[in-house]
Order: sequence, then structure tokens, then C-alpha cells
Amino acid sequence: MTTMLSPATAPPDLRRPHRRRRIQQGVREFLAPYAYIAPFFVLFLIFGLFPLLFTFYISLFDWDPIGEHRFVGLDNFTELLHDPRFWGALRNTFSIWVMSTVPQLLLALGLAHLLNHARLRLAALFRMSVLVPYVTSVAATTIVFAQMFDRDYGMINWFLGLLGFDHIDFTASLWGSHVMIATMIAWRWTGYNTLLYLAALQSVPRELYEAAAADGANGWKQFLHISIPSLRPIIAFTVVTSTIGGLQVFTEPLLANPVGGLTCGAARQCQTVTLYLYEQSFGQFHFGYGAAVGVALFVIVVAFSGLNYLLATRVRSERP
Amino acid sequence: MKRVRSTVAIIATAALLLGGCGGSDGESDSKTFEFWSFANINQKADVDVYTKAHPDVRIKLTEVGSTTETAQALTAALAGGKVPDLVLIQADDLPKFMQSPDNFVDLTTLGAGDIKGNYLDWVMSQATTKDNKIIGVPTDVGGLAVAYRTDLFKAAGLPTDRDEVAKLWPTWDEFINVGKQYVQKTGKPFVDNTPTSVFFQAVNQGSQRYYSADRKLDYDNEQVKAAFDVTLKAFEAGISAKQGSFSSGWTAAMKKGDYAVVCSPSWMLSQMKTNAPETNGKWDIATIPGGSGNWGGSFLAIPKRAKNAKAAWNYISEMQSPKGQLEHFLMQGSLPTTPSVYTDPQLVGKTDPFFSNAPIGKIYTQSVLGIKPFYFGPQDGPIGTEFLNTLTSVEQGKVSPAKAWDTALTNVKNAVRE
Repeated sequence: MTTMLSPATAPPDLRRPHRRRRIQQGVREFLAPYAYIAPFFVLFLIFGLFPLLFTFYISLFDWDPIGEHRFVGLDNFTELLHDPRFWGALRNTFSIWVMSTVPQLLLALGLAHLLNHARLRLAALFRMSVLVPYVTSVAATTIVFAQMFDRDYGMINWFLGLLGFDHIDFTASLWGSHVMIATMIAWRWTGYNTLLYLAALQSVPRELYEAAAADGANGWKQFLHISIPSLRPIIAFTVVTSTIGGLQVFTEPLLANPVGGLTCGAARQCQTVTLYLYEQSFGQFHFGYGAAVGVALFVIVVAFSGLNYLLATRVRSERP
Repeated sequence: MKRVRSTVAIIATAALLLGGCGGSDGESDSKTFEFWSFANINQKADVDVYTKAHPDVRIKLTEVGSTTETAQALTAALAGGKVPDLVLIQADDLPKFMQSPDNFVDLTTLGAGDIKGNYLDWVMSQATTKDNKIIGVPTDVGGLAVAYRTDLFKAAGLPTDRDEVAKLWPTWDEFINVGKQYVQKTGKPFVDNTPTSVFFQAVNQGSQRYYSADRKLDYDNEQVKAAFDVTLKAFEAGISAKQGSFSSGWTAAMKKGDYAVVCSPSWMLSQMKTNAPETNGKWDIATIPGGSGNWGGSFLAIPKRAKNAKAAWNYISEMQSPKGQLEHFLMQGSLPTTPSVYTDPQLVGKTDPFFSNAPIGKIYTQSVLGIKPFYFGPQDGPIGTEFLNTLTSVEQGKVSPAKAWDTALTNVKNAVRE
């Protein structure tokens, strides 16, 4: 950009009297773009990078926020590796992530395809209404869902009872609590992903569908051979964002099982890594150990995002 | 040039915006102080009483949130923010702050030494350091008692009079036997759950909890084991409704009368009224098995960096005097920590129609008189949680009673940091 704006290609001797000014202008034009983006990067440095680096720093200490800060080197990480609570939290996080992301994205794909249908009546209404769960407060959602999944008085168990099944103690069991939390997450995010897919679908030329219909392809075939291939880049995007979000699930497990305090249940059966981090840091004031959990989570998220990125670029480079 | 200027302007604006965060809110005079309290305990009523008597004093009251949230906000403030002049700390959070007493004003320098005799010794000891600094003044305690449904007791052929009911269960073993009779007669569970209603009560009735008298970690001791075992016994007797305290199921079952008994600290009474208003008049209150015990309570403390410690201390010494606590009890129902008012006719005569006009003042104050002081350590919170969680796992059928104690010790060992 800079070279295009400044007449650097002009013969120097002709411009000599103005050279100084030209250099000044050149420097200014060279710096200007950086100045324009500076506000973001200044804020990022203060609120993004600094806390991140400071977390790394704290993780090397036995850090009581209002008392001693004792340097312990990598002890926190050694302890973390031998901490069954951390591995349990990691297992829970991945299990909830898979249980929420896979159905959610599949459902969003299907919904987007339906909402994109040319002959859909009241399209705007349906398209807007899928976003309602997204704008509902997470806390309110969680409390309502927790009541629905209640062992004795919940709606779901009442229905199971009507059908003659035994009640399921969702919050107490490992899989039950994961299903419960995954449902909450999927309920909240499906609409959002649907709209992303829908936006991408609308840029697909209608003629493709019309031509396919004329060739006798049914809705399912159209979905499989037109919608999916044209959605590849956006699918890659949603997979990456839901991975990052899914590995950091916090509010749902915090509120789903309030009896267990910060452990999400008596056996920590649905405590995620972020909730464990919170329990250690803000429940018990072990900031050093909590920071070590944070660093571990950071490494895991970076690794998974990288893996996702590789997969995504591969998908993108394939011909639709 | 113009372009450069506008860039400078943008950066300057950003710097201003950021700098604005650190602004101060002006000078405070000697009659103004800032007070952080929990939400939903109607602290404002107390503050109003004080400012009415002292119209020249201005109190900036902030209701931070739950007890835990208030402790978290205080931690952040002590670690490097703007501290209040006066702060309310819940008893379970206090040990963490007692670890670093230098963050607070030693109240003996303001005259706490003269008034400490007014308060229950075992409560005062929680806020006193090894070298006799006083960090907090107690505002209330959580005495223990049993709330029971008179209508359900009657249907099960049990006595309904509170004195006779109290005679049924001088010990936890006898409590379990009454439970068995009830279950046999009605086919319904007796008590809401065992981890909270039995363990958390019984473990608070001894002379030692998770630390020894010389303030060392010692959770694997006979008294804790006894409380743990009696809880398992209650579970195995089949008297529990297995509704975790404060859960949605617990509330629903309370409304429907799906259990007849809740071991209820004094602060839980108002929660029961809110949760199950339709059971008004069907409850009564009897002495807890074991006779005494405490769960909860709060303290007022003054951070070291407070701008106006003197004004805050004036508030503490007036509002937390025996007279002040008695008035607070009559107005709001939280239990005084000053035994001199326990025989006051107003306190003894206080009854509650929701609980069949039980003399709540008399019953609950009796339960905190016989308590032996024990040391509250910084890791009491996580240790208590692990014991409670293991017992909850037993109720949920995830851990067998035979393995429960070992599981609990393993979990506690993982949770405790040396």
C-alpha cells in the first residue's frame, strides 16, 4: 500500500527540493495503518496478552491472593498430572463437548436446509425464532432444564414414569448429567449455528437447486450434494468455534447441580475443566494451582484448534 | 499532518478511557464509611436504624451478593483494589482470611478487648488469632434444631408435642429409630437427606472437627468418624428421602410433605417459609439430637487499608452490642451471639406461627450454649465438601457404605493442599 501511494518511482533529482517532506510523508504513511489498528492491540495487550502471560507466571507459584506468594517451579504441573480430579474434569469436558457439538451441528445443518426452502411460508418468523434460545439468559435456561431433569419431580421423569419406566437420576449419574448439560448447550447454540449455515446457503445460486429438481433429485439428494458441499468452509468455522466454546463450558455445569457447590455433583461427575479451575482459584483461593489448570486448558485448546485448522484447510482445499 | 493528528487523538482517547477506570470517587469525611454485606439479608434495615440514631453519619452500603461472592470480592479488593471500611464475612469463609490477619485491623486496638466477654467464647475464638488479635466481631450464630411436620407425625402415631418429640431423640441413634418407626408406619421417607441433616449437624457437635486443638490438620479422627458412621447408619436404616438440601427436588418434596423432618439451622427457617408457604402452621421445632450445635454465622471486620476504621468501629460496637443484637433478632430473627440476652423475656417469648408458635428464640439459643470451642482451619471448606459429597454419593448408590470412609479419606487427601 505505502509504495503505491508514495511516488518512489519518480526520478530523485527532479524532486530534490521536496525530498524531506516526501520522506516525512512516507514515514507517516508507513506508520498510519499501525496507528489505526493500535487501539485494538493496546486493549488486547492489556486485557488479552497480559492476563495470559500473568497466568503462566502465577502457575509457577503457590499463590495466595491475599497472603504469601511462594515460588514452587513446576510443582503445580507435577501435581496436576497426578490429580484424578483434573483428569476426571478433562474426561467430562470432552464427553460433554462431543455430546453437545455433534448433534447440534447436524441438527443445525438440517434446520438450515429446511429454512432455506424456496416455498417456506413465514420464512422470516421461523428464521428469527431459531435464535430465541440464544438470546435467553444461560442462567435461566440452566435452572429450567435442571428442574426438567429432576429425579422425582422433573417433567422428563414424570413422562418416563407414565410410560412405565423407572426414574433416572440424571444429575447423580455420569452419563445422565452429561446428557443434561449437553442438551442445554445444544438447545442454546443450535439456532445460532443454523443462522450461520443459512446465511451461507443463501449465497448458493437457486438455479443449482432448480436444476437438480429438474433432474429429479429429491430434497435429501439436494441436501447431500448441493447444500453440504457449498457449506464446507462455514462448517469448518463452526466446528472450530464450537470446539473452543465446548472446551470452556462453565455456566451450565456451575448451575446444573447447585447442591454440589462448585463440583457439579457429589462425585464431580459433570465438573468441567473451567469449573475445576474456578473451584481451585475462587472457591479455595489456590490461585497458583488454578492458573496451572488454566495453562493446561490453554495448551489443550490450542492443540485442538490447530488440529481443527489442519482438518478444515484440507476440507476446504478439496473440490466441492 | 492531519492524519497523524487524528491517530494521536485516537490513541489519546483510548488512553483516557483506560485511565478513567482508575479514577477515585472523591474525599471521604470522618462521618462516611463504606460497608459491604451479603444480599437478601435485609442489611439496609440495620443501616437505617443506625443512621436514624446518628443523622450525621453516612453509610455507603453495597450488597455484594451471596456469602461466597462477598468473600471473593473482598479477596480481590484485599489483593489490590479499593477496600470497604466494613465488611461482613460468613463463618465458613473466615478461616481463609484468618490465614493472613495482616489484611485487617486488629480490633483490640479499637477497644474489642473490652467487649469480647459479651460474646460466646467459642464464636469469638474463630475470629481470634494465635497471638490474640481480634479480626472480627460476631453478628449472629446458626443454632441447630429439628423442624418436623406435626400432621405427619400424628398420622404415624408419633407424639406431636415439641417437648415429647425432643425426648424421643436425645441421641442420633434414637433419632434413627424414630425414623424407622415412621417409615414402617407410613411407607414414606422420614428425613430429607442424611449428608446434610445428619453429618453436617453431628460433625459440628464435637470438641474437635478437622483440625486438632494445636491447629494442625487432623480430619481422620474419632469424632469425625463417629459422625460419619452415624450418617451411614441413618442411610442404611432407609429413612432418607435422598433430596439434597437446597435442590429443586428438596423444595418440591417439602411442599408435598414427602419427608417429615429437616434438621434446620436457625437461618434456614426463613428459607422454609419462602419455599413452602402452603405448609404454614404444620411444622414445629424440637431440640436436635445431641442437644447442641452450630452451623454458620457471620462476622464484621475492618480491612487494614480502610479509610475510616473509626466510624466503622463505632458502627460495630453499637449495632453488635447485646442490646443491638437482641433488637436485630426481634426484627429479623437471626440468633444473637451475646449470651446475656438469652434470658431476656422478649427473646424467650418470641414465637413463630409458621412453626406452630414454637419459642424459636428459646430453643435455638439453648442449642448454642453447650458448644465446646474447636479450631476452624483454612481448609475446613474443601474438607467438609469432600465428606459431604462422599456421603451424597452413598445416597445416590455410587459408593457402597462399606467403602465410604476410605473413599472419603482419599477424596479429602486429594483436595487438601499441604
